[in-house]
Amino acid sequence: MTKVHVRSIGVLAPGLPGWEAARSVARGELPLERAAITPPVPRCLPAAERRRSSPTARLAIAVAEQAIDAAAIPAADMEMVFAASEAAGEITHQLCEVLAGTREISPTVFHNSVHNAPLGYLSIAMGAKLSGTSVCRGRWSFAAGLLCAALQAQAARRPVLYVCYDSPMPVPLQAACPMVDPTAVAMVLAPERIDAALASASLEIVEADVEREWPAWIPPSWHANPSARGLAALGAFAAAKGMARVPFAPGQALEIRC
Amino acid sequence: MKPLAVTAFTTTNPAGIGNAATLAALRAGRTGLVPNTLDWAPIACWVGAVPEAEHIALPQALRDYDCANARLALLALEQDGFRDAVARSVQRVGAHRVGVFLGTTTSGIRSTEIAYAHRAADGSLPANFRYETCHDMDATTELVRRFLGVSGPSLTISTACSSSAKVFAAAERYLRAGFVDAAVVGGVDTLCQTTLYGFNSLQLVSEDVCRPYDAARKGLNIGEAGGFALLEDGEAALQLLGYGETCDAHHMSTPHPEGAGARLAMAAALEAASLEAAAIDYVNLHGTASPANDLAEGRAVHDLFGDRVPCSSTKGVTGHTLGAAGITEAAIALLALEAGFRPGSPTTRAVDAATRCRFEPAGADASLRKVMSNSFGFGGNNCALVFGRAA
Repeated sequence: MTKVHVRSIGVLAPGLPGWEAARSVARGELPLERAAITPPVPRCLPAAERRRSSPTARLAIAVAEQAIDAAAIPAADMEMVFAASEAAGEITHQLCEVLAGTREISPTVFHNSVHNAPLGYLSIAMGAKLSGTSVCRGRWSFAAGLLCAALQAQAARRPVLYVCYDSPMPVPLQAACPMVDPTAVAMVLAPERIDAALASASLEIVEADVEREWPAWIPPSWHANPSARGLAALGAFAAAKGMARVPFAPGQALEIRC
Repeated sequence: MKPLAVTAFTTTNPAGIGNAATLAALRAGRTGLVPNTLDWAPIACWVGAVPEAEHIALPQALRDYDCANARLALLALEQDGFRDAVARSVQRVGAHRVGVFLGTTTSGIRSTEIAYAHRAADGSLPANFRYETCHDMDATTELVRRFLGVSGPSLTISTACSSSAKVFAAAERYLRAGFVDAAVVGGVDTLCQTTLYGFNSLQLVSEDVCRPYDAARKGLNIGEAGGFALLEDGEAALQLLGYGETCDAHHMSTPHPEGAGARLAMAAALEAASLEAAAIDYVNLHGTASPANDLAEGRAVHDLFGDRVPCSSTKGVTGHTLGAAGITEAAIALLALEAGFRPGSPTTRAVDAATRCRFEPAGADASLRKVMSNSFGFGGNNCALVFGRAA
């Protein structure tokens, strides 16, 4: 078991433009009204990087910006953990399509293809020079990344920016990995309780198969997105003494108790 | 930090399958690199391959994971009694207390490339294309977990070429917090079109054998490798003493010109190990042989270690194994400590004086107590590790 303090939360998904909206939906006060997400434009990226970066990177950075702003802690003072199943589906597709044809890869597409590209862009844009780790654990990526980030906050005695994101998979990859909507969640975690903490949570691994358990408000079309497990867990942070169980491994769940 | 015991380790790379073969190649100054003859990537360059991995058959229950990365992972796991060492840990602490932490940059993407080359008329991928068990960055980690029969908290790290160095740092935090009692750390990356054509597009691939820190270096050679180490609490002859992780915050594919982020990572690793720079007996450099990396890293190393500490890059022996570079060079650092041999850089002919640090192309017998291993990746992602040999 470990303890973590959540200083702020950022959310981006169709119908969920930020934490305020997501909290009301997670509490059941308002229904989710899905609206096509406006492609997010991260403020911190200079124009050249905005053009060069992938839509996935822009999604991750935009949701991270929400959490950083709400935390009122400079990104340069935080360590970073980014979690995603796919580095960037649209880049993988572009790359593999070119490799099956002319094989003339663009250098920008190649460096955008690394799993840590969104983290790299954010680090460059915000001058964040502390530890930055890009992690994956397949469909368990949200819970695995959250625990990794919490342990990092504890070990470093510093705030950690945690971001988990997925963007739609292009055809034909979508047939094998049916991610159709962008979903993303970001949190600033702190090792010690701060006055402005939004919630304090204990994290514990328990034996439980919760792979098929979803809050009713999460659209089934999001179930393929590992980061949607982060949205499903928001209920734990949205109310006093909230609790959520998110899949952590086959037959295991990460229990989040606030 | 409290030192961690390294109770087993193994490397399989182009220079050797297992530790003994790798050490023999390092001692003989023999490169595992060869001129590229891959018919699916006819680029004028040298590569480092492990062709023996092709013949590995996965157990029936794990056949869904079959891809180049999985085969190399299983070949590597069978060397140096590593599997048995994990089995002993499992017996001692329980399967749920052993985690797997692996690095990779491209996982099984070679399978995806092949699928894209065989799309149907309507553009769809072949029916046998498997996303979750081959393409996913986590596929090899889940395979290794199942193959070893362990169920502790696990993670895949993909931070380009620092991936399988950073797994040591992540695993240390899980051990320290009591989430696991033993951690299998490591990494696997295999040759694919993505990295061969990708690095080629950045004009970073050398047509000649790579020559780290050479005044006439022309770029890197891509290699494939798999390797593992077992970390546990307690006493052992070999130990992980410290690690440092930083970001350059400078450029996506070019290092900071003075290696500022690299220097901070090395300094943080020394601090974690409670060591002065003078205590380090050898630095295994990232040393890709790209003009920019070697210049920036050499200067940062010199800034921290001055002229005293002998350094070399072993990428002229193994190639740049990308997501597996961290574990490959960690294993080489551990072999160096164990054997009392400081590896050289046999393909380097004339050291570039502008790199400043004390680069030693010739390997030599040396009593080594503490060594550092550097790994840096795209996105400006840096990791330095310090290993030691108990007195």
